[in-house]
Amino acid sequence: MATKNAEALAAANKKYEWGFSSEVEQDFAPKGLSEDTVRFISAKKGEPEWMLDWRLKAFRLWQTMEAPDWAKLDIPPIDYQDAYYYAEPKKKPELKSLDELDPEIRRTYAKLGIPIEEQKVLAGVEGARKVAVDAVFDSVSVATTFRKELEEAGVIFLSISEAIKQHPDLVKKWLGKVVPQRDNYFATLNCAVFSDGTFVYVPKGVRCPMELSTYFRINAENTGQFERTLIVADEGAYVSYLEGCTAPMRDENQLHAAVVELVALDDAEIKYSTVQNWYPGDENGKGGIYNFVTKRALCQGRNSKVSWTQVETGSAITWKYPSCVLNGENSVGEFYSVAVTNNRQQADTGTKMIHNGKNSRSTIISKGISAGRSDNTYRGLVRVGPNAENVRNFTQCDSLLLGDRCGAHTVPYIEVKNPSAQIEHEATTSKISDDQLFYAMQRGLDQEAAVALIVNGFAKEVLKELPMEFAVEAQKLLAISLEGSVG
Amino acid sequence: MSEVLDLPTTRQEGWRWADMATLEAAATSAPASPAIDPKTLFLDTLDGPRLTFIDGIFEPAHSRPGPVQVTAIGEATEHPLGRRAAGEGWLLSLDKGAAVPGIQIVHVGSGGENHVPARIELGEDATASVTETFAGSGWANRLTQIVLARGSRLMRSVRLLQTDGFVSIRDEATVAQAASLVSVFLGAGGMGSRIDGEIRLAGEGAYGEMGGALLTRGSQKQEAAVVLRHAEPDGTSRQVWRAVAADMSTASLAARAEVARDAQRTDGEQSLRGLLLNRSATVNLKPELEIFADDVKCAHGATVGELDERALFYLQSRGLPPARARALLTHAFVGDALDRIGEEAVREAFAADADTWLEEAL
Repeated sequence: MATKNAEALAAANKKYEWGFSSEVEQDFAPKGLSEDTVRFISAKKGEPEWMLDWRLKAFRLWQTMEAPDWAKLDIPPIDYQDAYYYAEPKKKPELKSLDELDPEIRRTYAKLGIPIEEQKVLAGVEGARKVAVDAVFDSVSVATTFRKELEEAGVIFLSISEAIKQHPDLVKKWLGKVVPQRDNYFATLNCAVFSDGTFVYVPKGVRCPMELSTYFRINAENTGQFERTLIVADEGAYVSYLEGCTAPMRDENQLHAAVVELVALDDAEIKYSTVQNWYPGDENGKGGIYNFVTKRALCQGRNSKVSWTQVETGSAITWKYPSCVLNGENSVGEFYSVAVTNNRQQADTGTKMIHNGKNSRSTIISKGISAGRSDNTYRGLVRVGPNAENVRNFTQCDSLLLGDRCGAHTVPYIEVKNPSAQIEHEATTSKISDDQLFYAMQRGLDQEAAVALIVNGFAKEVLKELPMEFAVEAQKLLAISLEGSVG
Repeated sequence: MSEVLDLPTTRQEGWRWADMATLEAAATSAPASPAIDPKTLFLDTLDGPRLTFIDGIFEPAHSRPGPVQVTAIGEATEHPLGRRAAGEGWLLSLDKGAAVPGIQIVHVGSGGENHVPARIELGEDATASVTETFAGSGWANRLTQIVLARGSRLMRSVRLLQTDGFVSIRDEATVAQAASLVSVFLGAGGMGSRIDGEIRLAGEGAYGEMGGALLTRGSQKQEAAVVLRHAEPDGTSRQVWRAVAADMSTASLAARAEVARDAQRTDGEQSLRGLLLNRSATVNLKPELEIFADDVKCAHGATVGELDERALFYLQSRGLPPARARALLTHAFVGDALDRIGEEAVREAFAADADTWLEEAL
């Protein structure tokens, strides 16, 4: 075991490009994937028997499945045996001060306008957390304050491992109900080896007293490569959740296969926002994260509503389709997306709106921006079941091309079985016109600022759906992602 | 039939809406003597060359081929259905500047499978128009390869009127500089169908169009899956498709426009619209764009729904009975696609076929 650990450590350190000499506290599962790995993970987390059985069932299923190949992605073969599936949440390498931080990252922080103290938290500077907490929120421990407030409201907000132990009935009831174990290759893999994630339960009639984003941002822990999120909003509840961060996230795990399940009962509403800025690889497409995510919401109750908002700027390969199954009468699904690809990035992303309930409605607004030599695909499905009367859907997919070496693709599927449905789909592809650029530049903007302005205008409909504090950062993020793509 | 059909499956992305079960049933159906007189399927107003194929075999008695040759066609294709169509077929090869309007080809099937390849080669500035009609039953499988030289123009109209069985069509076309290809399909019979097309605009300023109307009822499934590929700059393409589905039927339209890296100033337009007449009917649409050039104008629109209540009310307020009002609006809906046919006689014949279908379905 000792040698294995040493080997693992060496591997982990090597992939950290900045060469920190850190004391990384790792506890690795042996390399490779087998039933033993699954048992190891489950044992390590002290999970009950039913959870282990659930994982093993998924693992056996996974062995019989094949990776999907229908997306417009060029995915290099992945050796699933050549990876670690479990590492204890690790301490970030501590820096003495921000001066030690990779200048590239520091520059990005500055451009995003992240306050210095918060930068320190993100970068993991020694002793930073407390300072950041004090500076930003004027309290001793913001985490405790938040927890107390949430508890008073009755909101359960735990890591999924904790939830499995503390609220097994709730977890058992909903885990795998929205995304079944056999759903797809990556989701099944996640079922078998998920590391950790978030569990949220908002009880009847409760409006979650804060944006869970705020909490999450301060307490962001590295939850590993196989994240599992389950959010249940009981009758009449409301919750807004933000995952991710505008700050660039470096991670030594190349493969990320997360599963997110949302359940909205009668009159409940969930707003789920994502800002994804994983390492996209260098300009030649070397390195970078593969992000294969399964996200699905079940609008089970009458008048339930789920709104997905995503800003995708990172990852070498993105394979992600946040979807809504609209079973409830009058239920509403929304999908707002901005996907930016630059250099050699590939993104195949979109949504599915499955209408089964009467009067259910959905809106899809997708903005794809491609630059460099990247490929950006919108792939979506709108399906109307035979018993879903008066369904309305509106879809708009716009693509913006920067440069003539990139690709923008639109693949919408529409399947309708009820004549009372009204489905509309519109798409356009355009580039930034010389007139627009000239106008912005003759008003005194340099070329990059002009492009950023125009791109932000293009993506405005989506950015306005983000929680306010993130909208501003997301705007800047778009500009940064496209740096060097024009001129 | 002894050989096992090696057919694509619905697990393949490009075939997910395909109805291979009906195809297989048609291919193995027992032959019956055709009760259809091929003569009734020709349009009398056109006096161009005529060809008749009965169960895939050329029938000289009802034909006057003129410049169209009946010969072996051996071009290779990788298309899973198209590649089965090899052997004797028809060839239209026109020299520079030649013009042959009003060519009619009638296919009558009596059960079982039949395969006919065809090839159309137009020289510089040549023009031709070809109308094909499918009737009878069984599985009719066709491969048509089209090569249009600079400045040539081809108008191609195809109507599928088989009472049952399956018709599969595979078109592969290359359109050179300033040449133009317009293909219009009408599926108004009781058969299943798969219209598969790939048009490559291989010259500057080429024009390509593929569209039509699929009308389905009963438990029928019809499908179109076409690709328009812009390989050179300044090309224009149009894909106008209409689907009307009644009863338990399914009509599927998948149209893709591809713009290659250097095909700047492309103008591509897709319009896919579906109309559902009954609750249990299905319309599937997939308007797809694949774009690698930045100075292009590509738009697609897709809608599915039922007839506009206000338009229906308006017509009724002008004294039309409800059934008549519905028929009129549906006629106009289908008309969008059929209006692209250049020859008036053909256009009217196609519209009449659509109207007959609508009267029966509404």
